[in-house]
Amino acid sequence: MNSNGKKKRIGVFVCHCGVNIAAMVDVKRVAEEMEKYPGVAFSTDYIYMCSDPGQQLILDKAIEEKLDAVIVACCSPTLHEITFQNAVKLAGLSAFQVEIANIREQVSWVHTDREEATLKAIRIVRSLVEKIRFNKNLEPIEVDVTRRAMVIGAGISGIQAALDIADQGYEVLLVEKEASIGGHMIQLSETFPTLDCSQCIMTPKMVEISRHPNIKLMTYHEVESISGFVGNFTVRIKKKPRYVDEVACTMCGDCEEVCPEVVPDEFNLGLSYRKAIYLPFPQAIPGTYTLDIDSCLGLWPIRCSACRDACEVNAIDFDQKEEIIEEKVGAITVCTGYDLYSMKSLGEFGGEKYEDVVDGLEFERILSASGPTGGKVCRPSDGKVPKSIVFIQCCGSRDPENHKSYCSRICCMYTAKHAMLYKHHVPDGQATVFYIDVRTGGKRFEEFYQRTVEEGEVLYLRGKVSKVYKEGDKIIVHGSDTLTGRKVEMEADMVVLAMAMEKKEGTEELLRKLNISADTDGWLAEAHPKLKPVESINAGFFLAGCAHGPKDIPDTVAQASAAAAKVGALFAKEKLQHDPAIVPVNEELCSGCEICVNVCPYDARELDSEKGIVIVNEVLCEGCGACAAACPSGAAQKRNQTDNQIFSMLSAILKI
Amino acid sequence: MVNKKTKLHYYPGCTLKEKTTNLDNTTYAVMDLLGYELIEPENWTCCGAEFPLTEEKIVGLAAPVRILRQVKLEGGNEVFTVCSFCFNVLKRANEAMVTDPLKHKRINAFLKDDIAIDRVTGEKTTDFPEYNGDVSVLHLLEFIRDEIGYEKIRSLLKRDLSKVKVVPYYGCRLLRPKGKIGIDEPDDPSIFEEFLENIGCEVIDFPFKQECCGSYLSLSMPDAASEASYNILRSAELNGADVVALSCPLCYYNLDRRQDRIKEKFPEFHEMPVFFFTQLLAWALGVDEEVLGLDQHFCDPRSAIGIDKSGVEI
Amino acid sequence: MRIKLKFEENEKKFIDRVNELSGENIYSCYQCGCCSSGCPFVFEMDILPNQIIRLVQMGREEELIGSKALFLCASCFTCQSRCPKGINIANVAEAVRHLIEPKGKDYFGPQEIPVELADELPQQALVAVYRKFSK
Repeated sequence: MNSNGKKKRIGVFVCHCGVNIAAMVDVKRVAEEMEKYPGVAFSTDYIYMCSDPGQQLILDKAIEEKLDAVIVACCSPTLHEITFQNAVKLAGLSAFQVEIANIREQVSWVHTDREEATLKAIRIVRSLVEKIRFNKNLEPIEVDVTRRAMVIGAGISGIQAALDIADQGYEVLLVEKEASIGGHMIQLSETFPTLDCSQCIMTPKMVEISRHPNIKLMTYHEVESISGFVGNFTVRIKKKPRYVDEVACTMCGDCEEVCPEVVPDEFNLGLSYRKAIYLPFPQAIPGTYTLDIDSCLGLWPIRCSACRDACEVNAIDFDQKEEIIEEKVGAITVCTGYDLYSMKSLGEFGGEKYEDVVDGLEFERILSASGPTGGKVCRPSDGKVPKSIVFIQCCGSRDPENHKSYCSRICCMYTAKHAMLYKHHVPDGQATVFYIDVRTGGKRFEEFYQRTVEEGEVLYLRGKVSKVYKEGDKIIVHGSDTLTGRKVEMEADMVVLAMAMEKKEGTEELLRKLNISADTDGWLAEAHPKLKPVESINAGFFLAGCAHGPKDIPDTVAQASAAAAKVGALFAKEKLQHDPAIVPVNEELCSGCEICVNVCPYDARELDSEKGIVIVNEVLCEGCGACAAACPSGAAQKRNQTDNQIFSMLSAILKI
Repeated sequence: MVNKKTKLHYYPGCTLKEKTTNLDNTTYAVMDLLGYELIEPENWTCCGAEFPLTEEKIVGLAAPVRILRQVKLEGGNEVFTVCSFCFNVLKRANEAMVTDPLKHKRINAFLKDDIAIDRVTGEKTTDFPEYNGDVSVLHLLEFIRDEIGYEKIRSLLKRDLSKVKVVPYYGCRLLRPKGKIGIDEPDDPSIFEEFLENIGCEVIDFPFKQECCGSYLSLSMPDAASEASYNILRSAELNGADVVALSCPLCYYNLDRRQDRIKEKFPEFHEMPVFFFTQLLAWALGVDEEVLGLDQHFCDPRSAIGIDKSGVEI
Repeated sequence: MRIKLKFEENEKKFIDRVNELSGENIYSCYQCGCCSSGCPFVFEMDILPNQIIRLVQMGREEELIGSKALFLCASCFTCQSRCPKGINIANVAEAVRHLIEPKGKDYFGPQEIPVELADELPQQALVAVYRKFSK
């Protein structure tokens, strides 16, 4: 029925999509068949419905033929539903009077028999005619926006995203679980392909974070739980006790001096040691010591209080307790970064056994001016300057059988950089790289790689190494050079493994809390691989950096800025519009059995104990229909997809 | 009172009955001390030594499947081996019966018409049941770890082996092919090390523990095999070992019996005693020297376990 | 060192047969060379294990007929345990041996056993080497 209570006049527009549909579906026949179908007032086909003339055709015919509703038989609704909704709006129709019959992805692309494909297309269009007869005009649900963002993770991606959101005038909570911001980038020596000192280009951004009036920095904090929906999230954040008053600490270092406990230093990946009370690195932000309670001998007054006694400003507070802080935010950007795949997984390379077999990040620290060797390239076992280093690429990457199927993208370039920097430090040293392919797709990457080979006199051997072991003072590498067709056995003083990147430890747990999804490798899933690369599938969540997949610093920064722009676009809206095609409760029919409450993945339904029926939070409801399928009484029916509509559609499809 | 022994199926394989009787004898000796009565499957044959790798050579599966079926018919649900080759072939054949329906069908069809004649009664058995891969094939190292337990072994030790600096040599067939066959991680194994530690040896790590010794190439390409064996023994020596422990008769042949050929090819080579793991276990459990069959070795291993030239324990 | 590459009936049949017999997909090899790096008998080989696969990918049966490398495989499976694509290279070598057998020579016969060793040789070695390398 249309708004005047008359039978709806329905128009059908069948798209050829060039030959995409027309090659497998007889589009003319579909249009002709539909013209005869009850309720269809007009039916035609056209080569590209999404083109300007195609949209104009729909608009003109809607007016001319006094159409009440329109079916467009074309590609997936994810592509052009909005296009056609806008077209019919110009004719004065509601967006809810358009339905898309997907005869491309669901028909022409997946069938090989033209006759059968055509019949299937007709059935699908018929079913949508049946559905649209009962479509009601709905009004969007409007929601307020909390114009305040949370960024999780404060490596380069989180830092960039936070700064870009803050610079747009919005408040940002930057949550970092470690004691300082900086992530992996602050551990790097120099960056390819320009050889900028990583700390030199990163610390200004870190300082900016600490000074920015719109940024609330929460280091040593972890997200506990999250509730709400786009524009209106409530987050609970755990503040871990640092046992040091951040404001009072003057970083004098007296505490560190007296602390008796020595443990491997994470910042230097265990290549040096730190005390139980420590500053992660000199430029750490916030500039404060942190007491690592897991390494500490025990809090006052049980065993040791040397640090507290030494602190002149009384900054050390053993009574600090874990706190839970609740905050409201409108958007969440996830920038949790990566870990290097453990060398332990590659037993044949001996990374766990031999000190002088190191991974890429360890070698960054060895190269770094602020590293454990003070910028001198020495090998960990005996401090000797290595005269020969073998670099092995694809350690765990591109290995679907045993490790990671993907290419980690940055290893080719950082290995070239490592080889070049090594040659800067040890000009008479020999650098040899075992590679499978050298991939230098970024800007000025290929030039850098060639410079490494030419100027660094680095020998690139094409073959994957199979075995690394120690013999006396030397490390023996068994590789091959497939270009000459030789197995290569060589001695080295040190071996650097370009370990694959993998999702940061704890990502899964965080994703469960956020209720957002990851791909099969554990990287965060984007909403669309090409067109929505910085949005999660769940509204209000954005992603940037290596949490989303291996990438280099320029790509990470670009993605972080893009995510920030998306957050800005969300916050620029006065109100958010929520799709009204939700599943309400028919109070007459509901018995309050709560089956729907249990199946709802969005916590949108709860029992109103007074009325004895279920009520729906319309904003939380995503209209997935799980409740409608589960409801035994028919009280839960999705708007514009009622049981009645579904049964009509089914019989239209099943009718020969 | 004598404790009743647990019956356990044991598949020795041909080489153990003819050439490396020391491996067979020490296996019987230690299992007796550990409380097991070993049963060899009736009418066992050679396992075939090599698992057939192509789809067309599947008749090579008949022998190992027949052996496993016999274990099953005798009421056994597990069988252990000490020879790495036999272990590998039996386990892979068993696995194929579980995972490869085509091989299962073809081999069972082939073996159905077997005829067995009882030695005593002369009674014929025909029409054999299908074999479905339900006997578990174990290597003795696994059996010791998982079923006997190191604790029990430690409690029964009679001799001190702490001066024996030994490398565990796995070779290929205990560890590969990667997947369900090996007794441990192919590139990071530890079961042999654990065993040797638990019988009191000083265990030395060495990078050639899973390298191939040359295997049967010692017949067809003797030079290649000598070099492979040399690399292993040299690495053991470089890493400070005095002896090698292993479980495979062919590895033993290449690494011990063919040290003469290695010496010819590599004059700087030093001889090194090689033991079967069961010999070391037997010695540790107090078995008499004669049972160990030490006279079968090319490189005299006596001094390595504290027996002087006149045969006296030091 | 020149090949005139063609993919006609013979080449395609050879590749298909290798895939069929070995149960592997020869095309899944991306020629990383790991098999050659780890193979303990490469020092005696005329071509590398990865080149065996390469020649199969190119359908070069003729070139494989004379290759010594195929007869240096002791099925130790080091290559398989580290192959990033999980290819059973020993199966491939066995399949190729099987296919070229009628055309090639018998790589190991009883006459080749040295008399002085005959008593000492482990049975398993004899059985295995005949199974592997004789027609």
